[in-house]
Amino acid sequence: MAVTPGTETPAPPYLGRSVRIVGPVANVDMNQTPHPKNSRGELGKALFNWYRNTISRDPLTRVSAPNHFADSRNFLASVVNQAPKGKINSRQVPVSDPAAMTRHIKAVAHHMGADVVTVARAHPSFLYAASTPPSGARDVYQNRAGDVYQGRTPDQMVERYPYIIVATTAWDYDKLQAHRHYIGDTAYHVSQMKAQLILKALEGYIKELGYAALRGMSNPQAAGLASGVGELGRNGLLIHRKFGARVHMPDPIMTDLPLVPDQPVDNGVEDFCKICRKCAINCPTNSVPFGDKVVFNGVEKYKINWLTCYKVRPYMDAHWGSCLTCATVCPFTKPNVWWRSLTVWALSTCPIPARPLLVRALKAIDDRFWGTTRQTRVRWLGYDSGIKPGEQACTVAGCTAEHGTAHAAEPMGNIGYYAPLKENTNRFVKRDP
Amino acid sequence: MAPRSGWLKAPWRRDDRRSSDPYWDFFINTPPADRANSVLDVIRNAPEGNVFPTRADLHSPEVTAGHVKEMARYLGADLVGITALDHDDAGHAFAIVCAVRADDDPREAAGIGGQVPVQNGLFVMFVLSAWIRELGYRASTAPELDGARLAVSAELGTLDRAGKLVTPEYGTRVHVADVIRTDLPLTAA
Repeated sequence: MAVTPGTETPAPPYLGRSVRIVGPVANVDMNQTPHPKNSRGELGKALFNWYRNTISRDPLTRVSAPNHFADSRNFLASVVNQAPKGKINSRQVPVSDPAAMTRHIKAVAHHMGADVVTVARAHPSFLYAASTPPSGARDVYQNRAGDVYQGRTPDQMVERYPYIIVATTAWDYDKLQAHRHYIGDTAYHVSQMKAQLILKALEGYIKELGYAALRGMSNPQAAGLASGVGELGRNGLLIHRKFGARVHMPDPIMTDLPLVPDQPVDNGVEDFCKICRKCAINCPTNSVPFGDKVVFNGVEKYKINWLTCYKVRPYMDAHWGSCLTCATVCPFTKPNVWWRSLTVWALSTCPIPARPLLVRALKAIDDRFWGTTRQTRVRWLGYDSGIKPGEQACTVAGCTAEHGTAHAAEPMGNIGYYAPLKENTNRFVKRDP
Repeated sequence: MAPRSGWLKAPWRRDDRRSSDPYWDFFINTPPADRANSVLDVIRNAPEGNVFPTRADLHSPEVTAGHVKEMARYLGADLVGITALDHDDAGHAFAIVCAVRADDDPREAAGIGGQVPVQNGLFVMFVLSAWIRELGYRASTAPELDGARLAVSAELGTLDRAGKLVTPEYGTRVHVADVIRTDLPLTAA
């Protein structure tokens, strides 16, 4: 943690039961995270070319994914994120009751279409390191911010802008069942685009209220944990009370608007992940740990191997873009309905010593009804996850179009087709003991 | 007027945000001091992308029309219709009309909140037209076309005396997004 001489080190933030701060935390350098590393070519030619120089064969991916488009003008998020930033309104709206303003900001974000809105109390350790790359601006993924932060320490920033608003969308449950397929990719990418539009609009609205709204400042997962979006699971994803692991964590808004921060939550994820390991079993690259938490950068948490997770992507490029296996198989990822609410309520109100017993029961039910591996056939817009990847078939009822002999494939039963990815990668990716 | 005392309220009713929120009127009605704080102009003025050089293998026109509607609904449109265009200079055969639910009329409510239906409509139309272009067919948003009139011919509703669209689902509380003109083979419905 960056400490300015003469100031005291702030107490480590409480992030709920799933993550514990045990040592000094160095601020994360955005430029050393996977996507910026890859865009500089530091992860090898194959990944660089996949990331920068390939065009997807799927029209939906070409309009919704953050790369692999044929023309970036057909990709909404690039239009939105490159827009010039507006000025802060000089006529500031006075806030006498921060609680009323907090309710208002949450209502505003929901009105714009956000599924989850929380407010975190900012902490210096959440902020990205204020390093200055040669371009003069900190290169934040899909977003450039380089003004007020320069020359200030994280502590000074937190004092000046004490709150972080996390607003995000959840992706579609039914389409997610066809993950490792273009249908699942679309569910993921369309809701991501929507979240980016909502955050851009919310940022503009806070400026219209007469307060600062800064993007590209904070680690979204840290702010999400501190504000109770969810708990950090074994799969390295925030697990939300209603949506499970299917929530995006886009770049949050740091602000000086007077608000009331939310607190971390306890949904029983901590107790569930100790026992479950469903994501670790299903991960095609064995990137999710089977073992216990480790201490990384002063934080005790489950640590996934991001490099092996990332490296599988170019090989699957012809069939799908986003794996999402660990998010889909997570027992918390279920439709947002009453029996799901009841279960999470039961788990989170159960006394902690009794939870392992309940978790084992719930895990058994989950394995019984949903299987250890998801196998669901989804048909949407003429796509069919029952067709072997790489083959083509028209399974639309009532279609009279001539598709030719290229479309002669047959669906493989009434389950989703999965390339035998796990068996192949098991040969060369070592699994944790 | 709804009773204000807490115990009289039905417990399953959501907290009435608008009447108890002191800032809601500002959100809905105060126009932005800096237009750059609204995302509308950015999306409206964005240049149109290229048409993908290879045409996708399409299904029959009725099926494609169904897929276009499904996609529009997935992107957030509440009502979708397709109508044939009689006279179009560029030879676009069809117009796709989408309407989104609007609790406040965007023509009167100039605030960022009042313009949220416009924002949602622009999102749908931008992504939908970009998708059709990536399928290899021409598609462009046409703000100059009369959306309400085309919505009537796409059988989304009828016009009232003021020329506003009235739909069976939402009454007049709808915003008709910019119309998409396209030469994608569809059927009017």
